[in-house]
Amino acid sequence: MERVSADAAPLLHVEQVTLRFGGVSALQDVTFDVMPNELFAIIGPNGAGKTSIFNCLNAVYRPQAGSIRFDGEEIIGKRPPATAALGIARTFQNLGLFVNLNVIDNLMLGRHHLMKTGFLAGALWLGRAKREEIANRERVEEIIELIELGPYRYQPVGMLPYGIQKRIELGRALAMDPKLLLLDEPVAGMNLEETEDMARYILQVRDEFELSMILVEHDMRLVMDIADRVMALDFGQPIATGKPEQVQADPRVIEAYLGQPDEAAASR
Amino acid sequence: MARANRGMVRSYADDLRLFPTWTKRGFLVVLAAVYLLLPLVLNEDVWPGGNGDLWANVLALAGITAIGAIGLNLLTGYTGQPSLGHAAFIGLGAFTAGYLGGGRLLGTPPHGYNLNLWVYLLVAMVLGGAVGFVIGLPALRLRGNYLVIVTLGLVYLALYLWQKWTTVTGGNAGTAMPPRASVFDIGGHRLDLLGKFDVFGQTMGPKQGLMYLAWGLVAVVALLVKNIVRTRPGRALQAVRDRDVAAEVVGVSLFRYKIGAFVISSAIAGLCGALYGLYLGYLTPDESSLGITLSITFLAIIVVGGIGTMYGPILGAVLVGALPKLIDQYATSLPLVSGIVVTDPSKSGLSKGALSTIIYALLIIIFLVFEPRGLAGIWRRIQAYFRSWPFRY
Repeated sequence: MERVSADAAPLLHVEQVTLRFGGVSALQDVTFDVMPNELFAIIGPNGAGKTSIFNCLNAVYRPQAGSIRFDGEEIIGKRPPATAALGIARTFQNLGLFVNLNVIDNLMLGRHHLMKTGFLAGALWLGRAKREEIANRERVEEIIELIELGPYRYQPVGMLPYGIQKRIELGRALAMDPKLLLLDEPVAGMNLEETEDMARYILQVRDEFELSMILVEHDMRLVMDIADRVMALDFGQPIATGKPEQVQADPRVIEAYLGQPDEAAASR
Repeated sequence: MARANRGMVRSYADDLRLFPTWTKRGFLVVLAAVYLLLPLVLNEDVWPGGNGDLWANVLALAGITAIGAIGLNLLTGYTGQPSLGHAAFIGLGAFTAGYLGGGRLLGTPPHGYNLNLWVYLLVAMVLGGAVGFVIGLPALRLRGNYLVIVTLGLVYLALYLWQKWTTVTGGNAGTAMPPRASVFDIGGHRLDLLGKFDVFGQTMGPKQGLMYLAWGLVAVVALLVKNIVRTRPGRALQAVRDRDVAAEVVGVSLFRYKIGAFVISSAIAGLCGALYGLYLGYLTPDESSLGITLSITFLAIIVVGGIGTMYGPILGAVLVGALPKLIDQYATSLPLVSGIVVTDPSKSGLSKGALSTIIYALLIIIFLVFEPRGLAGIWRRIQAYFRSWPFRY
């Protein structure tokens, strides 16, 4: 059976989103859909607006125009914590870990929006608070096992190597039980071995979890290997969307990355 | 089923225990015994001729400052919101206690409320928390040095208010604090910690009474704060400190947790202030009693003790919080330090107040440069050393 069904309703519908900083358009009329269980990749040269899309989906930025509907709800106008509650999780390009906390606490923070204990219940260590800690810890341990973080459990994450920190971020996002997972350059700065490990985790997540993923990545081999569909972005505008091999062959995409052949010839 | 070793963790419930090993449980029992018995030793009625009452007084003050330091540590250490406003909340707590607990202004009868100890401690906390909420609002937009400046302004605003609100504070004349601190007062049976009472057949005075009260409350407050820190709200506070954008993205509301930290920290400061009032007995609102130096004292305590650790502020309070009393006692025997009253300018030197300010400043600098993790960091290093003993690493 097909993992991604073509006629299902899209999980995420982004329409005509425009984001400006002063006079600079970071995003211009960006439109795309992400289907349930789909692994959707966004590629583009530096500064094309890939991370800006994530910041809009997370409500960190507020676009001036357009609409972002996730699971039937409008994202634009909400605050970031509300997107977490709706089921959008993300990792950061330059790591967004809580460096003084250990691996378990970082992953437990992923469970934050699924837990209820407030200041009073926590301070009094009520039975409910304790049961909630234990129940969520069980889920966190499942994820620790999945992405093989066992040996680091009690270490402050700031002290761990970069590759491990990237994995912890993936773990924290997974701990949120998301419907949509945003991965911002998960293999940036990694060596071949670490990249392969991360690809394996991403594929495992794709196969074992009921979630869609949006992957922003510069590593073209990774994108072409694992993505279901790819959108190429240049100067804040989508220039091609489709199957990886279609996008890879699209002349406009090649132009965005390498420049116009005529231009290059003329300047010589 | 038998455990492979006594400290073995076999379930998540085991992993959540506060005192997981027998060593730690034993340490807790020792602490409880010290708590009960030390006031018997530091007592001139029991051991006449010693310096017991002085040391009981020093330790009572250390306990009181430990409470306030635990609160400031929750705000500054765990939530990453530096504040110099603690003195304002201390003043608020103290004057609340004086007004509601039967204190009096110079030359007037006592205020008419005469409420029970627990009632005015609670009111001091509630008022502290309420003011903390208001002060927390600008903190949503400010951080770091800017927040320090705003909270610094609060101290002077409060000082002005204390000096003008003479019906409560007595203005420049000051106010007497509650004469009693009754733990219970039912049907003629009364235990007044500021009077004479018996423990294990020995007579205790107000200094020992305050020691019991302060350190009992240190245990309660420390336990409550520790529980906050290790559960969902405490993790959220630390997430706000470490990476606020990422915290929001995982679902932590900055509004809720920044304000929450201010409210709890200020409520604890209110409690600390009420106890500080009882300790002083008489409080005059001026720069030297409720000014910026008091705020810096608390900051010095958590820096020296260890920012963002649980026992840091308590260690810090014992070592640093007791300093003013010690300086008061011994400073005049040091060179260059004068007593309070200086009549002949040629003989004047450092005042005691200036000396303690200098010492705090030096302590903060020395610890920030050489041991940023404070006494708690030193303790951890000792533990790590002995874990691998006799090997060096």
